[in-house]
Amino acid sequence: MRLALTVATLLFLAFSAGAQAPPIRIGFASAMSGPAAITGEGVRWGATLAVEEINAKGGVAGRKIEAFFADNKAQPGEAVSAVRKLADVDQVDVIIGQTHSGACLGAMPVVKEIGIAMVVESCSHPKIRELSGKGGNEWTFRVALDDEIMAYTFARYMARQGVKTSSVLAMNNDFGRGAATAYEAAFKKAGIQLVSTEFFDPGQPDYRPVLTRLKRANPESILGVILASDGAPFMRQFRELGLTQKVFSRGSLGSAEFLHQVRDNPKVGDGVIEASYWITGLDPEWDKKWTERHKIPPRIHGSLAAITLKWAVVPALEIALKKHGKADRKAIRDALTEVDVKDSPLGPIKFDANHQAWINMILIEMRDGQLRILEKLPTSPALLN
Amino acid sequence: MYAMVAAGLALMLGVARLINFAHGEFFMLGAYAFWFAYRELGLPYPLAALLAPAVMVVFGVAYQHSVIRAILPRSWHVQLIATLATSIVLTNLAIIVLGTQPKEVPTALSSRILDVGGLRVAWQRLLVLGASLVIFWGLHRFVARTRTGKAMRAMSQNREACAVVGVDVQRTAMVTFALSAALAAAAAALVSPLFNIFPDMGTTLTLKAFAAVVAGGFGYVNGAIAASFLIGLTEALAGSYVSYAYKDAIAFLIMIAVLLWRPQGLFGRRIGI
Repeated sequence: MRLALTVATLLFLAFSAGAQAPPIRIGFASAMSGPAAITGEGVRWGATLAVEEINAKGGVAGRKIEAFFADNKAQPGEAVSAVRKLADVDQVDVIIGQTHSGACLGAMPVVKEIGIAMVVESCSHPKIRELSGKGGNEWTFRVALDDEIMAYTFARYMARQGVKTSSVLAMNNDFGRGAATAYEAAFKKAGIQLVSTEFFDPGQPDYRPVLTRLKRANPESILGVILASDGAPFMRQFRELGLTQKVFSRGSLGSAEFLHQVRDNPKVGDGVIEASYWITGLDPEWDKKWTERHKIPPRIHGSLAAITLKWAVVPALEIALKKHGKADRKAIRDALTEVDVKDSPLGPIKFDANHQAWINMILIEMRDGQLRILEKLPTSPALLN
Repeated sequence: MYAMVAAGLALMLGVARLINFAHGEFFMLGAYAFWFAYRELGLPYPLAALLAPAVMVVFGVAYQHSVIRAILPRSWHVQLIATLATSIVLTNLAIIVLGTQPKEVPTALSSRILDVGGLRVAWQRLLVLGASLVIFWGLHRFVARTRTGKAMRAMSQNREACAVVGVDVQRTAMVTFALSAALAAAAAALVSPLFNIFPDMGTTLTLKAFAAVVAGGFGYVNGAIAASFLIGLTEALAGSYVSYAYKDAIAFLIMIAVLLWRPQGLFGRRIGI
């Protein structure tokens, strides 16, 4: 009798374990340490919140999601290690990342070599699109718009505002240099004269020398390729020196993150117009959850990682499980090419032959501590012509 | 900012014959101490600015007891690795404990502008300049006139002889570290209202301060202060007239040129404060 009971219990436990399918393992790679650690912290927060949300609703086709993280330090070499850690040690099924363009470009050959899909949430270097999909790397997909796509629209908008001359001030990294090149071409096309291009290393305390250069160059406007963390001291010193140029920006200068950092004097950001594809308010429920948990406004990179998970990767997992009955690396990659989401907070997500999604572009104005969407523009490959 | 951090670094090098590569993190921790006192506790600016160096004095003493005492008799390789490791540990601890969200500590003076014939400068910058001069004068008096200051100078000339004649070498080294940490925190409390506070704000600063110490004459405090002003000016001029992106490289190139021209540093002499 005792033997029969033991066997029955063991059989029950074995069947219970079998019925519980293993979780789907998602890897997130971003800068978790070093000067850009603020982005990685945001990605960790955003991913954790999104995974909790998905699992609370029962997971994907009954399977739970498990998140794993790796640190790319925003550097190409470290991005390679981050991919290997996620793929080989954590055995993830798909990767979301790498937040920084240089890291993305560094990771792309490795994801191809390993054979694991990487869905890029926010790197905006134009080369990523050129190299993905029919460009040769079948394992890289990108949700974020790149600066070539946005530059033409933004430059045309600037020209419509009467801007005839502009200087570019960009971060001295792949993101900033890629954007500077894109805007040089776009300004030419839009009839705006590029007066000067300046680069700065992120984390600078003193922008007065470069502001002096800009003052001397005397353009009508300045296009800053700059994140909120650098944007706060930059704009304070811009006002301190009494510059009067119109400021346009790409990065996260026109964001709730920036306004939070200058909350003692939010007027320093007055008149800045930002070209982006994400802003607080696109998903109020998300903003509320984030703010309740972290007591600060949602950060762009964390929110983009969460959107990429919820509206690109989860639909792909559903397709893979439905069509192939499994969610292995190859099945997920194939399913990503079939994703067709019409109504994500960023707009439609459907990857083209270059594995680029053509989400909406947003123009945001900052005034009196408030962010206002000026225009929400659909994008398409036609923008590049 | 460079001058106050470099003066502390030069003091340590002069007295303890040790290059503290975690010195930039003293500045970072001083900034966070100031932020906590000013923003979280809501203390008035002058009080918070005085409290930060006081907190860092305690930290400096603890650092001397826990890290420096053990490595002081060891080779420079050990000292280099130990202080570099401390720097990395402190930066990453700050990321974990304090988070990566930049902290802002603007004061009433940081957005108030003095405009003289089109030359615009925030009052906080004038405060930085004025307070720095007072602090350097005080440091000079302390080193020149007090018993401890004289012991520091003596140690910088001959540590063994000091021990023989009864100078408390460990205590003097401890005071040096406490003073250096306080200088870094004072610099942080003065300049933080103009910038942001974040975990790796001290990393580049250590290198710049080290460059100033080398160019100024290896442990000669007045030389380090003068070289810091030179580096600051060079950076500002290079950033304004040559290239902002390469201003750091230009500053280091000048340091290399100085060393080629005067290997003992601009104000060079044998190590001594």
